[in-house]
Amino acid sequence: MTPRENSAWLSTERVLFLARHDFALVASEPGPVISRVVQPLVLILLMRPLYVAALAKEGVQAGTAQVVTGMLVVFSLLALSLVGTAILTERTWHTWDRVRATPARSAEMLLGKAFPAFTTFALQQSVVICFGVVALGLRVSSPGLVAVAITSWALALLGIGGTLGAVLRSPSELNTAYDVGGVLLSALGGAMVPLASLPRWAQTIAPASPGYWAMSALHSALLGQTAPTLRAAGVLLLIAAATGTLAAWRINRGWPRSRLL
Amino acid sequence: MISEPVLRADGLVKTYGPRRALDDFTLHVAAGEIVGLVGPNGAGKTTFVEIVTGLIRADAGTVTIGEVDAVKSPQKARGLLGVCPQETALYPSITVAGHLRLFAALAGLRRTALRAAIAEIAELMALTDVLGKPTGLLSGGQRKRVQAATALVAERPLLLLDEPTVGADPLTRSALLDVIAARAAAGAAIVYTTHYLPELAELGATIAFARAGRIIARGSQGEVSMDDLFLDEPGAAHDAA
Repeated sequence: MTPRENSAWLSTERVLFLARHDFALVASEPGPVISRVVQPLVLILLMRPLYVAALAKEGVQAGTAQVVTGMLVVFSLLALSLVGTAILTERTWHTWDRVRATPARSAEMLLGKAFPAFTTFALQQSVVICFGVVALGLRVSSPGLVAVAITSWALALLGIGGTLGAVLRSPSELNTAYDVGGVLLSALGGAMVPLASLPRWAQTIAPASPGYWAMSALHSALLGQTAPTLRAAGVLLLIAAATGTLAAWRINRGWPRSRLL
Repeated sequence: MISEPVLRADGLVKTYGPRRALDDFTLHVAAGEIVGLVGPNGAGKTTFVEIVTGLIRADAGTVTIGEVDAVKSPQKARGLLGVCPQETALYPSITVAGHLRLFAALAGLRRTALRAAIAEIAELMALTDVLGKPTGLLSGGQRKRVQAATALVAERPLLLLDEPTVGADPLTRSALLDVIAARAAAGAAIVYTTHYLPELAELGATIAFARAGRIIARGSQGEVSMDDLFLDEPGAAHDAA
């Protein structure tokens, strides 16, 4: 039997095969996904009274929106960890280079990883928002804008996660990045404490955090404000493009045998 | 039947800091030929395989597979080769069938051809009974067979097998050598690195002896005295052909 000629039109098929394979990998370890869906729901229920009280002057919706979007951003590390851990794990197993030794391009391999991560992330975010709507009366003025906000945030996280997985050398380094990165992304972005309540210095540097733009996009989308949503989404897409390019470049160079701890 | 070279690697150089892993490494392999690439640890055998595979770039030199320049068109070149790397690289939670399906699909096989290829290689490598098992639950020998099977599931003009039988049981070794011999008989060019010299005799392989990043002896097994080469001083050249 002879394989078909290796031509460009096969690449979509290869991405789909890789995505199917990566879905199977994610499905074999569902724990992180389950925990990052359950945890935000529990915390939203427990902490909503606190945020409603803190933002009483702005109304109940403001407090509800803050706690829902805040937990969305805090637990959106799921997307970050799915891609970053997936890449580093494959480096540890040596399977990444094994697949690179096939006609699959590095970009196809990254897309294959991105599909299940994006799907899982979108599912998580949708579950949390729906919970907010159904259980807490959260108002969503424009589901379309919310989808734009979630998509742009997901792409930014995938790019950042892919870069971390490609650059870091061990699960320990990766976990440190998640822990520190989680604080920078979420707390500095106004996810845990409303931005207006952060110290002045934190408010000043907050725009340097991708989480700031995620909060901005999600808040604006919930209020149905198109221009601010698109502006924040645009920044997130730039972050996605930059980090995605960096991840692809680094992965394409490969790793010498001594690069893992 | 030996014919035109399928693999032409000429003047390959690769340095890691002050260390020269490959130093003017040249090797040609013809269709139907099995070349036993041997040499002491650190001779550059695995670095050579990684360069041909496109995992790392050589600092100098050329590699062509068939008519394809593997340096300029690495993706196209990888479509012509099957690789069994030295380190076992399997997904513990994915079944044997899942592995074979993935690598057969990435090799371009589809539908009926894909299913037939999987069934055939599973039977040849005695994996039919464990197709539904995650590889994390297999024995060491079974994992070795899966590793090799992923490289052999699609028929390729060039096969690179980097110490495929290290730690393998006799059943695994026997199955693999049979498949390799059959592929060579069908016209594949095969580079087989190993420290188990009797395997090369069993395969009827020619020898390429590597030391210090270059091939210092090349020829049939009767022509190349491996005892002398392993015991000899580095840097001494030997013309065996």
